[in-house]
Amino acid sequence: MDPARRLGRAQIDVFAQLGVSTVLLGGIYALIAVGLTLIFGIMRVVNFAHGEFLMLGMYTAFWAYSLWSLDPYFVLFVSIPLFFGLGFLTYVLVMRGVIHASHNVQIFTTVGLSIALQNVALVVWTGDFRTLRPWHSSVVIRVFGTAFNLSQVVAFVIAVALTLALFAFMKWTHTGRVMRATAQDHDAATLMGIDTDRVYRLTFAIGIACVGAAGVLVSPLYAVYPTAGLQFVLLAYVVVVLGGLGDMVGAMLGSLIVAAVEVLGSYVFGVAWKEVFYFVLFIAVLVFRPAGLFGQRGAETLGV
Amino acid sequence: MHRSAVVVTTLAVVLGATVAHGQTLSGEYKIGLLEPLTGPLAGEGKRHLEGYEIVRDMINERGGVMGKKLVFTVADAPDPTAAASEANRLITREGVKIITGTFSSRLCGAASEAAARHTVIYWETSCVDPRFNKRGLTTVFRTEIDATGFGWYNVEFIAKHLAPRFNMKANALKIAFLSEDSSYGQGVTESARVRAKQEFGMQEVAAEYYSFTSINDFTPIITRFKQLNPDVVHHIGYTNDAPLFWRQAREQNFLFKALVHAGATGYGSPDFGRALGNDANGVFALLEPGPGFRLESLKPEGQKLEREFREAIQKRTGSYPLGGHQLAGSGLWLLKVVLDRAKSDDLAKFRDAVMSLDLPVGSMINGWGVKFDEHGQNSNARVQHYMLQWQNGQLVTVWPEEFTTNRAKWIPLGAWDARK
Repeated sequence: MDPARRLGRAQIDVFAQLGVSTVLLGGIYALIAVGLTLIFGIMRVVNFAHGEFLMLGMYTAFWAYSLWSLDPYFVLFVSIPLFFGLGFLTYVLVMRGVIHASHNVQIFTTVGLSIALQNVALVVWTGDFRTLRPWHSSVVIRVFGTAFNLSQVVAFVIAVALTLALFAFMKWTHTGRVMRATAQDHDAATLMGIDTDRVYRLTFAIGIACVGAAGVLVSPLYAVYPTAGLQFVLLAYVVVVLGGLGDMVGAMLGSLIVAAVEVLGSYVFGVAWKEVFYFVLFIAVLVFRPAGLFGQRGAETLGV
Repeated sequence: MHRSAVVVTTLAVVLGATVAHGQTLSGEYKIGLLEPLTGPLAGEGKRHLEGYEIVRDMINERGGVMGKKLVFTVADAPDPTAAASEANRLITREGVKIITGTFSSRLCGAASEAAARHTVIYWETSCVDPRFNKRGLTTVFRTEIDATGFGWYNVEFIAKHLAPRFNMKANALKIAFLSEDSSYGQGVTESARVRAKQEFGMQEVAAEYYSFTSINDFTPIITRFKQLNPDVVHHIGYTNDAPLFWRQAREQNFLFKALVHAGATGYGSPDFGRALGNDANGVFALLEPGPGFRLESLKPEGQKLEREFREAIQKRTGSYPLGGHQLAGSGLWLLKVVLDRAKSDDLAKFRDAVMSLDLPVGSMINGWGVKFDEHGQNSNARVQHYMLQWQNGQLVTVWPEEFTTNRAKWIPLGAWDARK
């Protein structure tokens, strides 16, 4: 084929658009996965209710917008302490009782919590699909033949900032070191005088605050309904496994990989294939690199 | 006052009221009513229940069924397991001979299977799973068309209304099919594909399925569709993905001449209009008749019925009839017509009565007619469906034109911000 035709203007535009879509979609996945990888990595708890906290974040933004016309970016600042508190409360009331129980018990508990939250949302807010349309959700940015939505760009920027902030927090603060110590060896950490219960409480609260913020940020982009969380939560697990448990930067990279597989797979082979591709990737990582592409060594032996 | 005295007084009042209404109904005739009243489908299930209750009252004001007052035993069917067990309970405990329901295609299969085991009549008013009456059961009947009927109507509209208005021959039209992958989406899409190709020779440029529970980004599809440059996008969407597709198509400046959908989810749901406001302008959705419907276009008896039905809905809900009301209401009215004719709930007599009915379009609620086939399915051509279009925040009836005062606009769809 003649090279000029092969890489014509139209083709370049197509690939530029696919690249942009990958990065922006990856940003949304990272936003959701980062809280999950924290809880997963430090507490070794598979939080099946993660998606429901995302859904609660979306509803928070929806109600704040429709009742008081508050912009989601303002609600974001309120939602972080709100969801921190909610995470704290959930830990104290639900998770503390099962934190030392077997994984089966933890799975049953978080699945139970997930279904309970979905149904509370259904009863309180009905099954209607709701949408909020702040001004930025209909602003389209066009650069060199690519087009994207302003809300998506903001979500991406905040995802990167949040990932870096958590990374720095874990690496360079005392509390972060204490959290990592607890993750590496719970018993040894206890012997060193670390109050592991307090660490777990904090971890869970931060993780939920992250996903609550994610819910607020994605609310201008996706419909809000009681099972909205399920749309993303399965993907978040793939991302977390790919990136390695508890690895913030890994989660970011994992998200971009999953998004790339999804976008390119959908474009080339059709959208029906996208889940086949990333679950094949998921299984391959579990088989060949169980600690994740960038994960901490030995994470797989910590029993997840 | 003694309790018995209260009962007697109450009875006297009730009887008095009945007599005052000028009816002489001797006893009650009870049917089972199965709808999802809790769980994720509850919203639509309750709307159906409302439709049934309104038409039940209309029926009782007009002499009931077989000379008796029609009453319901209502059961909740949030999922297929509950649908089957509640159908069993209605039959064995409540002794019903006829069950009607059940909004969702997820429920009607399981419930009607259970009813068939007891040779109880299953009168389906809403579910559209094509498999419903392809199981060789003689006890199942469906008043609404199935999903393949929706595909049939969509292609009818594209070939006979859109193509001439584009100044194109139907066989020159390029059509891209996009659908969520539930049995509903596949049923509509596959039947539309077959009819578009075989009957009208349209050019299919794409056929894509996706799962509405996991679709988060349509830009790869839209990017591909832009290269294929279809005239018509046939998109069967669900309620979370339809607004996403439409928003992203606008962002990507994907231009095509029309988008056609079928059913009360996705583009056919009020949620779509709420999500997009005037940006929704131009989308077509195949549905029951909406605003603009010309009652005068119906047969005299159909007009009278439709008018009374609308007044009753207005009185009870304060609104225009919604899809759930219309499906449930027209289905229940047709059951009355059959029972009046059969004068019995005996399966053989009931079936004969169903098969002997032959009413033209415009005879009933929604302007429907009746002609059942041997599988217990009402015919596509008689169960008239209507194309509605989003016009400035409202879904209005635009086709067939003899049934409506509105006309389809934005054909072909212009630039995205020129659809005002």
